Amino acid sequence: MAPPRTAPTITWAMIVVWLVFASVPLWIEKVGLYQYLGVEILIFAMYALAYNLVLGHAGLPSFGHGAFVGVGAYAVGLAQFNVAANLWICLAVAVGAAAVAGALVALFISHRRGIYYALMTIAFGQIFWFVAIKAHSLTGGEDGLLKIARLPATFGMTTFDLTSNVALYYFVLVVFAAVSFLLWRIVHSPFGRVVKAIKQNETRARFVGYDVWRFKAAILVLSACLSGLAGALFSMAQTSAFPDVMSLHYSGYVVMMTLVGGGLVSFWGPVIGAAAFFLARDIIGAVTTGWMLWFGMSFVVLVLFKPEGIAGIYQSLAQRRAKTAAPVVAPTSQVR
Amino acid sequence: MSFMNLLPHLLNGLTLGLLFSLIALGFMLILGLMEQINLAHGSLFALGAYFAYALCAARLPLPPDWLAVWAGVPLIWRFAAAVVLAPVLVAPFGLILERLMRRTYGRDPLYGLLLTFGVAMVIEELIRVVWGTPDYMLPVPREISGGFIMLDLIWSAYRFWAAGMAVAAMAVVWVIVERTRFGAMVKAGAHDSEIVQALGIDLTKLRVWVFVLGTMMAAFAGVIMAPLWGIRPHMGVDAVVPAFLIIVLGGVGSFWGAAIGGLLVGMVVGLSAAYASEWSMLSMYLLLLLVVTFRARGLFGKKSVLEV
Repeated sequence: MAPPRTAPTITWAMIVVWLVFASVPLWIEKVGLYQYLGVEILIFAMYALAYNLVLGHAGLPSFGHGAFVGVGAYAVGLAQFNVAANLWICLAVAVGAAAVAGALVALFISHRRGIYYALMTIAFGQIFWFVAIKAHSLTGGEDGLLKIARLPATFGMTTFDLTSNVALYYFVLVVFAAVSFLLWRIVHSPFGRVVKAIKQNETRARFVGYDVWRFKAAILVLSACLSGLAGALFSMAQTSAFPDVMSLHYSGYVVMMTLVGGGLVSFWGPVIGAAAFFLARDIIGAVTTGWMLWFGMSFVVLVLFKPEGIAGIYQSLAQRRAKTAAPVVAPTSQVR
Repeated sequence: MSFMNLLPHLLNGLTLGLLFSLIALGFMLILGLMEQINLAHGSLFALGAYFAYALCAARLPLPPDWLAVWAGVPLIWRFAAAVVLAPVLVAPFGLILERLMRRTYGRDPLYGLLLTFGVAMVIEELIRVVWGTPDYMLPVPREISGGFIMLDLIWSAYRFWAAGMAVAAMAVVWVIVERTRFGAMVKAGAHDSEIVQALGIDLTKLRVWVFVLGTMMAAFAGVIMAPLWGIRPHMGVDAVVPAFLIIVLGGVGSFWGAAIGGLLVGMVVGLSAAYASEWSMLSMYLLLLLVVTFRARGLFGKKSVLEV
């Protein structure tokens, strides 16, 4: 059975994810966690989704995505202080700044792929991180850019105050819903199909007549924009921006989240991964020191035995159950 | 700025460059034969430094009276023991890592990259759990530390020792790679692994030895570098990033590419420190961009495993 040529505009999975996240503030404190954790998970889920555009859908292993998050995070603060204290303007500046950063990086690396792509993105990530640490007058260096206010969100007549974590959570959820919807459409658009073709075989895609360089650059810029948006929301959540998110560690964490969740095989994998990452941090971290030891080891095991991640495990379990339920399997045509 | 003012910066750059070359060489040996990027190379480097600290500062998990005896040994001997023993102690970690990496051979090199990144995170966290987060300084014996005056300038003696030891280690590696049967097999294996296996050479065993050699070079560099950089959990990242940068810059699969690339990076960092000390580390990234923009395969690179 060949996959349908057009994906549905809205899927059940999408609605379920939104609804589950919408219910989080109602029960998260009852299970012993705290509201801010929900904000963190949601922001990083968005970041991981945006990142997976590059890793999972285009097959480009970027190890420097933290740069774009950081640029967005600093830009939202700097816009607030120097341009205008309006939420929409600040977010737009953050997305724009991340787009410029993404375009700059894309200019240098879009002709590369595979390991070289990874190494060059590490180098760029380090450049941005280094500048963030050293440019004291702009970013506050290692102390960070402090006192970023959570500006109120105005929709025409009504204004929402975002200073409480629950209010911020629902604001982030609206952005998350919009971003995930947008990404779903992009991935299943003709543009997304070409990107997928480039992932499978770049040379063939080029022979078919696509300007591969442009598609690879575009997908990176797009991913950078949305990562920058996540970064902007993150500095609102933290009410400050720090260089940490730009470090190689954080850029690697998003790779871990995406892979652990199953970004290679599932659109929603990165969301699962982001939730797993923060829950592991808080739950394992509460029991022992060195939670990364355990999370890192499970990551290593997943890479070795099941790179398709949690979503992949679920998929193969579901497949096995379907097989035992119906032993006669209709021959499937491989679309390759 | 006159030449005399630049001289110390040049020499600092030279030392740094030699040590970078050493780290990069181990990195490249593994890349050449395993066709894998080992992002955990820096963590092995860091482990070397921590083991050296444990040996030199006599902070070992031993009975107190044994420890007292060890602490009574002159520092110069403890330091010498660290230089020799720390790489040996780190070698088993390399063995375990190689064992894990075996599953990724022949698959997309991305998996090796992800695996070693995960291992790097695990080792770094292990270091935090065992030694905590504070910075340590490796005590350097009086015989090789201190300063001396030459050409009206004060020089740090240890830098010369470090440079000398780096040169010695690289010479050993050069002899192993270029003048022994083992080295010939390694080079042949990197060039065409199928033919080498057809000739009856056990590539699996060869890979283990190369990995151990690379690991010990990383750990050795960690010991030598520790007094200059200080010892902290994330020092691995500070080492692995220049290492891959040098490989991309110098070109994959070339001994002299790594050696000259390392020197070049060290010199550029050292020289830029003369003008903008805060920003000196940035110069190596700019150098990388400059080089790979005009020479996509680096200075001495041939077509390699990195190009899928």
